[in-house]
Order: sequence, then structure tokens, then C-alpha cells
Amino acid sequence: MTTLGENRRVPQVQIRVLRDDYCEFVLSDTDPSVANALRRIMLVEVPTIAIDLVEIEENTTVLNDEFIAHRLGLIPLVSNAVYNMKGVFEDAGEEDFMDVEMSLNVKCTSEDTMDVTSNDLTLDVKHPEVHPVGYKQGDFDALKRPILLVKMRKNQELRLRAVARKGIGKDHAKWIPVATVSFQYMPEISINRALMDTLTEQEKEDWVDATPSKGVFRYNNITKQVEVDNAELYQYDGEALAKSEELGKPGLVTIKERQDIFIFRVESTGVLKAEDVVLTALEVLMRKLRNLQEALPQQDVGAT
Amino acid sequence: MNAPDRFERFVVPDGVPKISLEKDTKVTNAATFTLQREDHTVGNLVRMQLLRDKEVTFAGYKFPHPLDYHILIKVQTKGKKSPREVMDDALTDLCDEFDDIRAKFQAEARRVHSSEAGPGYM
Repeated sequence: MTTLGENRRVPQVQIRVLRDDYCEFVLSDTDPSVANALRRIMLVEVPTIAIDLVEIEENTTVLNDEFIAHRLGLIPLVSNAVYNMKGVFEDAGEEDFMDVEMSLNVKCTSEDTMDVTSNDLTLDVKHPEVHPVGYKQGDFDALKRPILLVKMRKNQELRLRAVARKGIGKDHAKWIPVATVSFQYMPEISINRALMDTLTEQEKEDWVDATPSKGVFRYNNITKQVEVDNAELYQYDGEALAKSEELGKPGLVTIKERQDIFIFRVESTGVLKAEDVVLTALEVLMRKLRNLQEALPQQDVGAT
Repeated sequence: MNAPDRFERFVVPDGVPKISLEKDTKVTNAATFTLQREDHTVGNLVRMQLLRDKEVTFAGYKFPHPLDYHILIKVQTKGKKSPREVMDDALTDLCDEFDDIRAKFQAEARRVHSSEAGPGYM
């Protein structure tokens, strides 16, 4: 590693939960600007694949062409291939992999209403790894159920060609890799013991019950004391503070947001693993900063 | 009808530098950087990092208009280092920091994957 700049922080990372679609981790010893930059990048600058161009050959369904094109765009496509792809706005040669071509060809022949779903899409034979999330994996698991595009009645038909491309959420929300990504400041709660002791046992219990963020405070029946159980569950609702005021004892408890510990929660839509969303975001951010540094004018105009 | 193209937001036009620097005419050791196609993500990040530098007396950023896709970062130093140098240092430190976070995240991910069951909620 490079020598430590004097103004460089040394952050720590601790992963709590790591699943394909969810990641919860604690980032500490850094600044809110770093946490927020990471969150913003995960949201709108991590590239994914989504249908971007639709050529309709035949559409006799009740939905108009634009409507269907829009719905196709919003289908989450498994995007692990995105790392080998080039986007429309990147420098790309003839050889570069830019387009994934899919098609849809359905006609309703039965008397019953027919559902056209993401499972009816025909994948690109050259890139079968790019497919809708949960493609043909079963109709019963709610998470893997195909995505409904349009419903048809007898003799209606839908034929189209769709091109999926690499893109980022800044361009269109369909390329956002996450359902949610958020960070929370670690709450720091301290109870004023001396003041708390002036409350009666009943008042203490009432005070604990007044907080809608359950599990933050606990009334200990043995010691007859109010304790902080799990500060992290605090929802910043202010009810504990309001109740203190009501009892005529403001300052019973002080609650602060720590500015150096952040709890991140990343919920992936399934297009990329939550872990990959975080790692790609970090890489995108580093590339961004490095590009800026390289583009920084060489001549010095400041020190005079 | 007259909405700007969506790509305007992140594609730097031909011939425009990604970052340019203009020296302040009235204040010594001060300069304004113009960063093309950047927003609060980088603006706030760089500003906070610049403020950690003891040589910096002022650092601020603005995103002048939501449809002008550039930000301005204004820096004033004490004189030992030029605004260009403090910006260079800030970018180096930030880059190293994110590299560090990435390495630690990867190590943690490996640790979690290797413990078969994985950690539960705390």
C-alpha cells in the first residue's frame, strides 16, 4: 500500500449479513461524505444491463407500443456479463460486446386470457447468461415468479425484437442495481442516572413504554433501573425526549447521531449480487477520482 | 420538447476538459476548479477531504444549477501549497481510502463466505 497521507483516514469494515440479494455492513472511522458518496454511487453509477431498444413488428394487444417498450425496459436482467460489455457512451471498437438481442413472439390461440411474461422472452443465443431475474425457474416461488408484461385475448399477437445494453441509473432508473441502499448513523444514547433515579418505578416503566422504537430501552425489574438495550433500533422518533419533557424531567436521556459509524443496507434487485454492487461502486468511485487527478492541469497557478 | 438529452448528465462534451482551474484574481492562493459532469457525490467528498488539510483555509463547492452538469470547487490555501497541490493530495488520499475500504470489504466477504453458515442478525 502507498504511504499514508497525513490527512488520510483509515476506515474499518465489518459485514454483518451477506446474501446474494442483501448485504448489511458497518463502515466506521470515516466521514459522512464518504458514506454518502458510496451510497450515491451504488444507486446511480453501478452499470447493469437493461432492454434499451425495442422494435415492434406486430402488436395487437391492448397496450400501445411505447407502453410495452417501457415495461420491457424495467425487467431486471441478470447483469454479471456487464463487466465485459461496453456502453453506448464508452469508446468501443467493432469487436466490443455492446448489444444483447432478445425477441418476443407470442400469439394467443386459446379462449382464455393469456399472460405474456418475462419467461416468454427468447434469449440471445450468444449470451444466454443475460436473462431476466428468475427466468423459467418456477411459477410458485413469489420471488421467482415471472414478470407480467401484458395480458392477451384470443387472436391477439405480440412480436418484437429487443436490444439490451449496458447503462447506469443516472441515465434511466431501469439501470439501478438496487431496490434500496441506505446508511444509518449509529445512535449514541446515554441515560442521566441521577435524574432517572428521581422517577418512581411506575414512571420508569411508563417512560420505557412511551418509546415506539421497541427494544431500545429496557426496564430491569431486578435493579429497578432503566437500561439501554439496543441503541441501534432507535428510530429518531423523539418520543423518549417528549415523554421526559412531559414528566417535567428534560435531559433524562441524550441521543446523538455518531458521525463516524455508518450501518449500510444494500438490497439488490437480483441483477447483481449485493456484494458486487458494493465492490463495483468502490471501483467506479476510485476510477472517477483517478480520472479527475489525471485530468488536473499540470501548471501551477496558485502559489504566488 | 427542449429537455436536454439524458446522456448530457454524464458524458463530457468533446474539447471540454474534465477539470479546469481558474486562479482567483482578488484573493491570493485561491482558485476555483470546474469539474465537468460531476455532482454532489464528488463535490461534497472532495470538499470535506480538502478541509482536513491544515494548509487549506477555505474549501467549498457548489452545484450551480441542476441542468448545468458541472460543479465548482473553491479552495484557498495558506501559501505553502498551491490549490492545485492540495487538490492533488486530497484526490490521492481519497483514492487510497476507497482502495482500503475495498480491500477490507473483500477480506470481510471472504471471512463471511468461509464461515459456512454466515453471520446472522445481531
